[in-house]
Amino acid sequence: MLETILYQLFTGVFRASYYWLIASGLTLIFGVTRVVNFAHATFFVLGGYVALTVYELTNNFIATVLISALVVSLVAVLSETSLLRPLYRIESIYQLLMTFALTLIINDLSKFIWGAESRSIPLPKELSTIVSVGTRPFPLFYFLVIGLSIASLFLLYYLIEKTFWGLKVRATWRDIFVAESLRINTRRIFTATFFIGSLLAGFGGATMVAFTPVAPGLGDSLIITAFIIVVIAGLGNLFGAFVSSLMIGMLESLLVLYIPEVDILLIFVIMTAVLLVRPWGIFGER
Amino acid sequence: MGFTGDRFIIYLASLFMIFSVFATSYNIVFGYLKHVSFGHSLFYAAGAYGVALLTTKLVPDMMLGILSGIALATLLAVAVGALTLRHSSIYFAMLTLAFAMLFYSLLLKWRNFTGGSDGISGIPRSSFLFTLSSIENYYPLLFVFFLASMILLNWVDVSRFGLLLKALGDNEDRFKFTGLSVYRYKLSGFMVSGFFSGLAGSLYALLLRAVTPDIAYWTTAAEPLIMTLLGGAQYFLGPSVGAFIFVIITTLTARVAEYWQLFMGVVLVALLLGARGGVLDLVERLWGRKF
Repeated sequence: MLETILYQLFTGVFRASYYWLIASGLTLIFGVTRVVNFAHATFFVLGGYVALTVYELTNNFIATVLISALVVSLVAVLSETSLLRPLYRIESIYQLLMTFALTLIINDLSKFIWGAESRSIPLPKELSTIVSVGTRPFPLFYFLVIGLSIASLFLLYYLIEKTFWGLKVRATWRDIFVAESLRINTRRIFTATFFIGSLLAGFGGATMVAFTPVAPGLGDSLIITAFIIVVIAGLGNLFGAFVSSLMIGMLESLLVLYIPEVDILLIFVIMTAVLLVRPWGIFGER
Repeated sequence: MGFTGDRFIIYLASLFMIFSVFATSYNIVFGYLKHVSFGHSLFYAAGAYGVALLTTKLVPDMMLGILSGIALATLLAVAVGALTLRHSSIYFAMLTLAFAMLFYSLLLKWRNFTGGSDGISGIPRSSFLFTLSSIENYYPLLFVFFLASMILLNWVDVSRFGLLLKALGDNEDRFKFTGLSVYRYKLSGFMVSGFFSGLAGSLYALLLRAVTPDIAYWTTAAEPLIMTLLGGAQYFLGPSVGAFIFVIITTLTARVAEYWQLFMGVVLVALLLGARGGVLDLVERLWGRKF
């Protein structure tokens, strides 16, 4: 009984890693650019699709993941500079709508290029080796994903808190007008933020296809979960997003086991409750 | 659905009328109050499911069904509005999204009551005095509702109430100097919007004679937004023009290819980059005179 719970919790941590890979970029982008990137989960799914093709070409898992992540972030950067930049000086709702338009376009283009059926890539043998947690078997792959997610958290933390470039990002985050008056190139910071955020998302999607097939429409539901995670934590809060991802990931895993009918509902109730009582998030500041 | 020729045109026209009411009522919150709501699919679906539930489980009378649909939608509008309108725009948008998705998951999960993902079908189009089984017969009634709604909505638009709502959206701080309650006016506007969105949903349910949970999904909530942007939010007829274009485009592209999302996305991009005032704004600029 306890073991089943622990097993579910561990699976939950695995899920949470994927949520984190999406939520991190989402909250980072919002924090710096104040854009709510509706298309972020679409980037994640795009990573999965690109991985399908890259794997066919290279047959190498590592190369696939790295290249796919890069491709996705390039797409994101291209979109940001061509579509979002013209809208920065007007109300943020238009940027949100633009990211929504981007989702529509990428969704259908994905369907067009890769077809509508679900597809996946095989897991490389080395990563399929079973490691036991207690008496339950888990593929090494799980640990890799979890490990990389934690690593990304620390990498992001280091990048933003300990580097000079990170200082510029934080300045932009705090007050964009002052940052600009200090001759910080906020346009470039925006683009770089999109790059980093989408890199993580694309990376997540690319690794995901090794154990779950990718299908169109996956992004539509993922973005909602990602929103919930980010909003509960507080928009723009990285550590909060990590904790929140863990919470939601584990909660979902447990609920799936015990009360499956309630899962989506409960999560929405939580988000609604948080928004009503503490709209700046559990970890956010007013 | 087996539609051919004339019946199909009637179907499209019906869709147009329903969307027109939906989008115009949406514009009360979006254009007048300048709040972006992603939750209007909630009211639309409430109207639809209200009709469906009443007519299939209690009284198979479509007029009563419409009444219950509107009642449910308006009630929800008051509840949701009370909870969300005190928050700033971004949280308002996300909260409305959350509520819409909450309703969606409720509809999806409560199989016994709402039919789950299969929804409810077999909605009767009959009342005490008449039965409108064919779509050609339903059309006149639909038209009457459409006309009445548009007249009422236009009345709101030109009334003092409408003017105050627009003033509120324009500059909330300045509105406070009038001494009127910001919150109460926002809530009233939201309620009116929910009322007509619910009506649109009810009429939609009667058109299709079936409802499924996906009309509550957030992507449905984006449709009146796109229509309003398409036509122009600053005009009363903007959302209707947008609804017209939307119906044409989605039908055309759905018949040519399944990639209507792509087309919609591209249209949206073009609008956002080049014509934020919508089609009517473009027309006005080209025509050189004011509407």
